[in-house]
Amino acid sequence: MSTATILRSATLISSKLFTSAATKRSILFQTRLPLRAAALSVGSSSDDGGGGRNYLMLSDEQLMGQCEMDTFKASGPGGQHRNKRESAVRLKHIPTGVIAQATEDRSQHKNRASALARMRTMLALKVRNELDLESYTPPLELLQILPRKSTIREADVGPQIGPNNPKFALGMQALLDLMVAVNGSVSDAAKLLGLSTGALSRLILSDDSLRREVNELRESKGMRPLK
Amino acid sequence: MTLSVFRAIHTAVSPHSLIFRRSRASFCCSVNRPSSSSSAVSATPVSTVRIPLFLREATGTATISELHAWRKWAQTLVSSVGSKFEDADNGPGPELLCREIRWMLEDVVEANLDVVNRLSDETAFGKDGDVVRLRAGLDELYCLWEERIEKRRPFQYLVGCDHWRDLVVCVQEGVLIPRPETEMIVDMVEEVVSRDKRLAEGIWADLGTGSGALGIGIARILRNGGKVVATDISEVAISVASFNVNRYGLQDKIELRQGSWFEPLEDVKGKLSGLVSNPPYIPSMNIAGLQAEVGQHEPRLALDGGKDGLDYLLHLCENSALALESGGFFAFETNGGSQSKFIADVMTNRSNFSFRDVKIVADLSGIQRFVTGFRQ
Repeated sequence: MSTATILRSATLISSKLFTSAATKRSILFQTRLPLRAAALSVGSSSDDGGGGRNYLMLSDEQLMGQCEMDTFKASGPGGQHRNKRESAVRLKHIPTGVIAQATEDRSQHKNRASALARMRTMLALKVRNELDLESYTPPLELLQILPRKSTIREADVGPQIGPNNPKFALGMQALLDLMVAVNGSVSDAAKLLGLSTGALSRLILSDDSLRREVNELRESKGMRPLK
Repeated sequence: MTLSVFRAIHTAVSPHSLIFRRSRASFCCSVNRPSSSSSAVSATPVSTVRIPLFLREATGTATISELHAWRKWAQTLVSSVGSKFEDADNGPGPELLCREIRWMLEDVVEANLDVVNRLSDETAFGKDGDVVRLRAGLDELYCLWEERIEKRRPFQYLVGCDHWRDLVVCVQEGVLIPRPETEMIVDMVEEVVSRDKRLAEGIWADLGTGSGALGIGIARILRNGGKVVATDISEVAISVASFNVNRYGLQDKIELRQGSWFEPLEDVKGKLSGLVSNPPYIPSMNIAGLQAEVGQHEPRLALDGGKDGLDYLLHLCENSALALESGGFFAFETNGGSQSKFIADVMTNRSNFSFRDVKIVADLSGIQRFVTGFRQ
């Protein structure tokens, strides 16, 4: 992880700490409105054309460079005055407002790494890329998370990538883009991916956050959640 | 005291003190002592290092249900505390204390994390009779947690280590527990040495190294040829730092020298590529009001910076120009706010100091924590 970028983002936040009210607002914002990357004006050339997918293609350093980082609160003077408590880390992705945090580790350094990994998942879950169903072909990262029995999956795609692999986030994002484009219909999406409806359901259910996101989408369209 | 309702075990003796080896002889508990037992912070014999829990041999055992009972008991103590510590002196709240219970199990149970995870799951208790191996006896666990709650003994002293950056640094009474804020100094040094290879191969000094955390963090990012000289006036600190340096196999890269600030550095005067320090910077008048974990357990020597908290920072300022080579980098941690501004002014404006690019750098809470710069 590049310390240069960490330091830059660390100093960035010095003047504007989040208030808890603001944080609550942005979390609500995230859960109610899927963000459309295409509609976000970011003003950075690296985001031209590809939208949200591009965030996940960034290296750790580049992604960190787009984030503000702070610990949860400046409770008093900190430093030598305090035992612990400031090891928790929160990242805010400036272009999208998506927030990821980590508190579980004893080291701030490790919480920072966990928060960044979580940020990738959050971006995959919350930032949508628009796609055109007429000319749709699944991107490689989506093919990679499909089970081998998919009829559109060539042998050279390699072994199936599971939810524990960091590359899963990219495939998950592409799958969610497709699910939004087909209005939550698992059978429509399954057809486009060369899978049975059951097989795609099983894939969606294999990851908790993916399942939750698909079910939210389905409920918003008046459909029954997948179980 | 109400805690004895839960379990009639009281702290009686000092922590286990031994030199680089494990002894199972010294439990810190005895049953049914009167609750007015002596303080847990007895003087640590000099030059001895207490082995942290996670490095001990697992010679104890307990069943899952026994551990589960311990966990529930520990959580009951936490509930009885509620927000009392927070209200009293901005101490730990229930959420953090419960996290500490989990961390303690991580260090004590010799098994993968599944076991620890199972302990927090009330419903998934298939095999309560399963026996797991422990690095501390069950009685000791009860005792340690009681010290945590009754005496506010810092969690890091209970388990004997602090997770700091990617390091696990051993600590004990008499040595300051490295703070998360200080992790950033290593980031700053990493940035500086990545831009200037010459500095990455030079000699760096960490003054008042304590547990050695900062020196070790820096030694690991220097290139071949780069070295750290770490000083501390405290004999306990030098022993603990030496234990940590050995554990990371950095004996060839870090030299520990006992002495006050610059005194042990005469032979490298004017040759240092970098100088870092987290000196005591709390104003004396604020010591009494510190969080109990800090004020009652950590060494005053590492906290009290004199009347304005500036005594040692100014000493560092005054001697840095002579200690650093041309182009050498310095980074000092401060109390923040006006103190960092004052130190930055001193480093910028005293003409005989000749520093450039003097900057104040905020920590992750937005406090103006560090002063950095270069010798011209």
